[in-house]
Amino acid sequence: MADNEQRMSLLSIGLVRGLVGQFAGILLGFALVVLIRALAGYDEVWSTEPAWVVGAILGALGFLIAIGAMSDWFSWWRGGETPFVHGPRHPGRPTWARYFDVDYNHKVIGIQYGVTGLIMLCIGGSFAVIFRSELARSGLQFLQPATYNTFIGMHGWAALFGIFIGIGGMANYLVPLMIGADDMAFPRLNSFAFWINVPAIVLLLISLYYTWDAGWTVYPPLSLKGSPGFQLVFWSIFLLGFSSILGSLNLVATMLRMRSPGMSLFRMPIFCWAMMATSLIQLTATQLIAMSFLMLSLAREATLAMPFFVPVLNAAGVNIGGDPTLFQHTFWFYSHPAVYVWVLPGLGIISELLPVFARKPLFGYRWIAISSLAIALVGFLVWGHHMFTSAYSPNLRVWFMVSTLLVAVPTGVKFFSWLGTIWGGKLSFPTPMLFTLGAISVFLLGGLSGPVLATVATDLHLQDTYFVIGHFHATIFGGFVFPFFAAIYYWFPKITGRMYNEQLGKLHFWLMLPAFWLMSVGQMSVGVAGMRRRIVDYDPLLGGMTRFNLGFVEIVQILITISAFVIAFSILIMIYNLFHSAEVGRVAGANPWRSRSPEWQIPSPIPEQSYPRPLHVVGEPYDYGLATSPRFVAGDD
Amino acid sequence: MQRSSTDKRHFIIAGVLVVVVSLALYALLYVALPLPLQASTQAATIDWVFQAHMILLSVLFALVVVFMMYAVVVFRRKDGDSSEGEHFEGNTPLEIAWTVLPLIAVVIFGYIGVTSLRTVTAAQENEVVVDVEGFQWAWAFTYPDTGAASADLVLPVNQPARMEMTSRDVIHSFWVPEFRVKQDAVPGQTTVLRFTPTVEGEYTLVCAELCGLTHYNMIAKVKIVSQEEYAQWQQVQLAAMGKTAATAGSIDVAQGDAPAVDN
Amino acid sequence: MAVANPVAPGAGHVESAHSEAAHGHVPTYAETLANNRLGLWLFFISEAFLFGGLLAVRFYLWGGTRPEVSQFIGLLVTSVLLLSSISMYTAEAALENGNRRLFLTLLLVTAFLGLVFLGGVMIFEWGLFPSLYEGHLTPWGDKYGAVVFLMTGMHAIHVISGIIFILIVWNLGRKGHFSPSRKWGVESAAIYWHYVDLVWIFFYPAIYLIGTAVTH
Repeated sequence: MADNEQRMSLLSIGLVRGLVGQFAGILLGFALVVLIRALAGYDEVWSTEPAWVVGAILGALGFLIAIGAMSDWFSWWRGGETPFVHGPRHPGRPTWARYFDVDYNHKVIGIQYGVTGLIMLCIGGSFAVIFRSELARSGLQFLQPATYNTFIGMHGWAALFGIFIGIGGMANYLVPLMIGADDMAFPRLNSFAFWINVPAIVLLLISLYYTWDAGWTVYPPLSLKGSPGFQLVFWSIFLLGFSSILGSLNLVATMLRMRSPGMSLFRMPIFCWAMMATSLIQLTATQLIAMSFLMLSLAREATLAMPFFVPVLNAAGVNIGGDPTLFQHTFWFYSHPAVYVWVLPGLGIISELLPVFARKPLFGYRWIAISSLAIALVGFLVWGHHMFTSAYSPNLRVWFMVSTLLVAVPTGVKFFSWLGTIWGGKLSFPTPMLFTLGAISVFLLGGLSGPVLATVATDLHLQDTYFVIGHFHATIFGGFVFPFFAAIYYWFPKITGRMYNEQLGKLHFWLMLPAFWLMSVGQMSVGVAGMRRRIVDYDPLLGGMTRFNLGFVEIVQILITISAFVIAFSILIMIYNLFHSAEVGRVAGANPWRSRSPEWQIPSPIPEQSYPRPLHVVGEPYDYGLATSPRFVAGDD
Repeated sequence: MQRSSTDKRHFIIAGVLVVVVSLALYALLYVALPLPLQASTQAATIDWVFQAHMILLSVLFALVVVFMMYAVVVFRRKDGDSSEGEHFEGNTPLEIAWTVLPLIAVVIFGYIGVTSLRTVTAAQENEVVVDVEGFQWAWAFTYPDTGAASADLVLPVNQPARMEMTSRDVIHSFWVPEFRVKQDAVPGQTTVLRFTPTVEGEYTLVCAELCGLTHYNMIAKVKIVSQEEYAQWQQVQLAAMGKTAATAGSIDVAQGDAPAVDN
Repeated sequence: MAVANPVAPGAGHVESAHSEAAHGHVPTYAETLANNRLGLWLFFISEAFLFGGLLAVRFYLWGGTRPEVSQFIGLLVTSVLLLSSISMYTAEAALENGNRRLFLTLLLVTAFLGLVFLGGVMIFEWGLFPSLYEGHLTPWGDKYGAVVFLMTGMHAIHVISGIIFILIVWNLGRKGHFSPSRKWGVESAAIYWHYVDLVWIFFYPAIYLIGTAVTH
């Protein structure tokens, strides 16, 4: 670090300032509610839930104002001009401080997203490890049912935060680099969209203080009663939705408008196509979850008790209230496409890395690009398959069954194209390639366990069992976690300029892959045998009528728990590897993987301004193995 | 000198391996995914569809993984070799083939799905009707034909049963794994579930939809008994409630405190 | 698709440019404007799903029925909102013609009409001021009140933000900002306002016209 760096006071760290702002905002919200209730003549001026609703909104606003995510906009509203400049916004401060403050450089924001995402994944995983320990044996061990029920919901949302934010990390860091852009189309919006996640995370963590026991899907009427923790969760996710919408808007605009000369849409690296499909889903469907959770917030008994989701009978016995199934429709209209939000970027990473390590062109580039859009489109038509046992029209079930099976077609195109890509290549297997191949195998398990759930008859048995848990985790680990780790290892030398430790990377992979397989197949196994999801205690004999007995379920549960611990341990190895190698790893050079993608043609780590001279793209993105193809003509000629 | 990747021998070897691995995988899945006892006619249909899916799963899994592992072994880079792989960017007939073939599979399995759904949910003659009410955290059963009420679900073997379900508070879900079928009980609505138990014995009804604190313990006993025992049990229940079958026939206990609302 | 390098077909993916300045590319006003326009339209696409979702909720819960509401008030507030769109359009046209006085006046007229609309909603639909008008809908009473409050409430949030937006533009215009060629602030405020109006065009029949009125 340079000598002339300022000494940092605590409040000059943006994150600290933001948290203080959020705290102040929450208090202001509380005070406002008390004031209004006092003026309105309530006997009891304190009411926890309304206070938290107003506190959550003002707290988030307080965070964003205090950290300075909106300063430029305020300045515009007063007529000021804030021309965009590259470089730190507060010159003289140490480099690390940029990462804890508002910064407009997409590479800084990408790292902010990525690290926050990893932290949230670890938090989500920790909850899993805790309740997996409880589940290792039947009977109640150390978790109370209320705590257990809260933890399963927290595991879900913390991990989903990790996934959304992790995707934001990959997208923000990579997409502008890959299309040869200096930055995103809206750098300020980009920073705003990241920082809004932090107050959301704070609210989610505060919700732990109260228990909330409806799982991550928070179906009403269960989520309309009981603790105020639900309100915190609703508003936390509402804010996360803001981040999704604004971030994806920015990505679409960036890809449509900021490509360098010659970078036609079909010359973009394939990850950009995956992000295009992802962003289009996030841009549109997220509004539905925002609406659903807003409705839940208003429908709770302690707020306005608006009867969207509960029946109300009039004097004649006719229901003039709502319907619990409505929530499931609006929730899954978003949350099914959201699953594709979670996996499409990862599938893009797989398609991106395979050609590099196979030294071959991506097989059927256009087919893969279009299949991403096709998956995104079909994703909007299948939400009802989450509700085959809910109360809705039997005819609709048929429609949702067939439309869901159709997802197999574009997904199949991806798998077969990946095989075409590695067939006849010169394959090498450093850690990112191992994670890529591991991702394919795990996603295959997730994908192929899908049709049996999409078929109504079999789903009537499997719905709400551990089979669904196994299927879902295989999909998400194959579609997000493994590719995310592949991406981290792959772009680590580009980000830090140093190579990660290959031995530790391989150790991570060879611990995690078998453990995950065991965990996932184990979950499917007990699910088929009849074990429900979301139960703190289970009958080890499952009623004694299974084909297998003698504690079969308990043995599998122990295996699943051990696997969970192994996975957690392997991820700790990765974190050590990343921190350690960033300091002492060998210097990687600009292009250790001999990739053709634009970001590898510039130095590692990437300078403040990625492309001082605009790139002129003249060739295809994956022309590996073409004898007449010279290496790159990049740099200062 | 390495053989070209389009050499027929690669595909013959991989093809044979796919067949072998498919068979091994299906055997493995049969052991690793143990379905519970098949105790209803619906279960027979569902298990058949399940096994059809497992065959599909085995074949497709083997297809992708065998070709992947084959490539990993055969097309790996030798030490010190920094040359590039073969240059081909795609193959349109192949892409069309692996778009159309899954589409055909989708049509076949869609057809299986539709017909099996129809079989599983079909209305039967001579159904025993039971009004089921879920509440936090237990079940209540009433038999509208006789007026009997019970905390256990008792049904005659080999006679179709129809559950008319509702909920007092939050969403619950009716599931007896041995009967396979499952249906939510929703406040303010009546949902219907049909099954025909085929094996006498005691089973456990569980709630399959997270419904609050002791959701895990929301269970009820299910007894499948012979027709004679069933009739006898009804008498005992009615006697315990101070009714006789003759007078109870007209009483509609079903309307109890669970308002059934058309939706 | 760009033509490949004629010298070496399929050659390198990336090649440096010689003609451009070495200090990177500073986006021009025209480029920024194009970005902003695209961004705003993407935002509208996104919002369309929110309003579409609200309409779906309305049709799911109400089906072929609707609450008993005052047709006169509905028509009145709708007319006011449509009128405000016309004044917004005229304001923008005035700026383009260099008539700043008219431009500023019409901005205030638009904001005022927006406030009248809001007042109509709050007094007559929501019954917030019982001394002026005794409303019969409550958010917690039944599905009719709940959905009316949800739809009009969500729309009202957009009207309020639109009014604030217009007032900011008015304030900047008063200070001499905007010219016929540089008026993104005005343009975006106008498009946003028209969009909010457009949403009401869909909401108005959904709440006031479609279905048979149910008294309760």
